[in-house]
Amino acid sequence: MPDYGQIQVGAGTLDARLVLGLAFILFLLGAVGVLIRRNPIVILVCIELMLNAANLTLITFAAQLHNLEGQLFALMVMTVAAAEAVVGLAILVDIFRVRDLDDVDELSELKG
Amino acid sequence: MLQAVALALLLLPAGGALVLAVTALSIPRAAVRLIGPGVVWLGFVATLILFADSLQNSTPHDFTYWTWIKSGSFTLPASLLVDRLSVFMCLVVTGVGGLIVTYAVGYMDHEGDASYARFFCYMDLFIFSMLLLVLAGNFVFLIMGWAMVGLSSYLLIGFYYWRYSAVIAARKAFVMNVIGDVGLILATFAIFAQYGQTTFAGVFAALPKSDGFWLEVIGFLLLVGAIAKSAQIPLHTWLPDAMEGPTPVSALIHAATMVTAGVYLIGRMHPIFDVAVWSHGAAALIGTVTALVAATIAIVQTDIKRVLAYSTMSQIGYMFLAVGIGAYGPGFFHLLSHAFFKALLFLGAGNVIHAMNDDQDMRRYGGLWGQMRTSSICFLAGSLSLAGIIPFVGFFSKDLVLGDTFSKPGAFPQALWVVGLVTAVLTAFYTGRMWWMAFWGSPSKERPVEHPHEAPPVMLVPVVILAVLTTVGGLLQVNALVPDGWALVSRFLSPVVGVVGWPPSPYDLPVTLGTLALAVLLFLAAYNFYGRPVWRPWSAAVPWLQRLLERKYYFDDLYDALFVRTMDGAASGGDKLLEEPVIEGLPTDVGIAARAGAGELSLTQSGYFRTYMLVFVGGAVTALVLILLVRATS
Repeated sequence: MPDYGQIQVGAGTLDARLVLGLAFILFLLGAVGVLIRRNPIVILVCIELMLNAANLTLITFAAQLHNLEGQLFALMVMTVAAAEAVVGLAILVDIFRVRDLDDVDELSELKG
Repeated sequence: MLQAVALALLLLPAGGALVLAVTALSIPRAAVRLIGPGVVWLGFVATLILFADSLQNSTPHDFTYWTWIKSGSFTLPASLLVDRLSVFMCLVVTGVGGLIVTYAVGYMDHEGDASYARFFCYMDLFIFSMLLLVLAGNFVFLIMGWAMVGLSSYLLIGFYYWRYSAVIAARKAFVMNVIGDVGLILATFAIFAQYGQTTFAGVFAALPKSDGFWLEVIGFLLLVGAIAKSAQIPLHTWLPDAMEGPTPVSALIHAATMVTAGVYLIGRMHPIFDVAVWSHGAAALIGTVTALVAATIAIVQTDIKRVLAYSTMSQIGYMFLAVGIGAYGPGFFHLLSHAFFKALLFLGAGNVIHAMNDDQDMRRYGGLWGQMRTSSICFLAGSLSLAGIIPFVGFFSKDLVLGDTFSKPGAFPQALWVVGLVTAVLTAFYTGRMWWMAFWGSPSKERPVEHPHEAPPVMLVPVVILAVLTTVGGLLQVNALVPDGWALVSRFLSPVVGVVGWPPSPYDLPVTLGTLALAVLLFLAAYNFYGRPVWRPWSAAVPWLQRLLERKYYFDDLYDALFVRTMDGAASGGDKLLEEPVIEGLPTDVGIAARAGAGELSLTQSGYFRTYMLVFVGGAVTALVLILLVRATS
């Protein structure tokens, strides 16, 4: 069993595998949610879930490797996530103005 | 002062052409009548100023206005050369040209307003191009003028652009002229490569004293340019077809001025030709052969303008003979004389054609003597001059050329003289044929107009002026008849082109009188065949000869078979082998493939969000698995 190392959390330490496992589960939830859910709001939430899972991995490795670039990048991802949420919601609001929408599959006018 | 006059002379017709080109659709007819001939006459006044100066002193003026191109060792000044030769040519171009353009005011009157302005625009453009050609002080300007007269000739031959034959004739003339342009341009390249100069003065100063390979090459290429422009064999077939243009065009471009540019070129380049003896001799030989061949063809032509076209080729052949043996002064005197009487003949023919509702077939004329007396008298003066009958100018100039050929020592000039004599006799015969057929006898039963009207004054006055010039012009140079008599043209030009370098022969006078007698005889003999109510064509007895002449020695058929049909065959072969499958097929096939591919690919664009997501996630997972596999195996 290879040593995946401990990370410093507050005064104590934590096995990195636990945190990375949590991130993996979060990401899987998000991905599956995007794939199978039809409600546009839920899809957006799932996307946020995936982004946060990625963030969690980033800061885990940052702590493990004592490298601040990971934390910096997590901040960056949060900014992008906020912007993405704004844009996504704005699009949804515009669509809702035109018509009622509870299934993204209804938005298939651009099919080839 | 003179520098400005020379520039004004050049720019006046250019300005006239530009104004007419810009305003052609809206300008009133009266303004066209003023501008069209007006700029030419102003140019004539400017030429007279230059002429007055050149009478005083014989040194050439080399007016450099600015340096046009300066690149390394290559310098090209924008320069005009005003010497006695160019002033002489300008006098012909603007003087005879002015008369003809004035005549055209009446002749073209039945055209619509836009066509009327277009015609005078082209005419002024031609005058400008021709002046640029003769005033050029360097080879580049010479080429520009040379090509632009070809262009204006093309535009004017194809003036009736709705007539198929006119368009074909224009294209033919242009293509054959371009052959000459290429010759001239290659000659210029060779000259620049050999002597590193572009101005006439510079090149002539750098010429070697003895003949050499490159000098002969240059002479030959210049000769190609000259024979194409002057319609000499073998590049002559465009001139008869060029008669598709309006008659004033035939008079100005295809008789009086442009087609004599080849003679001018040889005269201008005489320092080269004086050394390059083989090219020089070739010029004389080509001229003589053309004179004879064209004269024989003229005997069987029935279109009055075509007879005149072949006679033009024939007369230019005489000029080539003269400048080819080194008798430049007589050659240019014949050029002047020919400009007078050939312009007269064309304009006289124009009056007749006008009166005959544009019918040009002489067989349907007859009996015009009594009905169009003034035009007939003028045409008779021109005909007698063409036939070389005293006292008209053609007698003095042609017999001077023949006399100088006769008296030049050597077997070659003697042989040329014999051919020239035969041609002179034939000329008298076909001229007589034309005259008796068209003007004498009783009106043909098929004549399109019963009672033809004499031309209006604007068309009659230029004809009468030219007739007077034709009648008295011989007094300029009488040494064909009086060996010690004055020779104003030769003396005027001698500072530029030199004098005839051999003494006249004591037999000159008897030979001249003999030629004259033969000419008179043949002119009258033609009456016997063509002056009677019922023609008795001599050629009925020798049908094969008549067919040979009517087919113009099969030159057109030969060129058709050799070049036109070969090129057509190559073009249609290329069309089948290359154009259709490759050049045309390739883009089409690419398009078809792209459309088919797009049709298949567009099925993947289902429009469903989840499909896209699935593909995206699937792709990411695949990429991940691949990376892991690669890392595991390495």
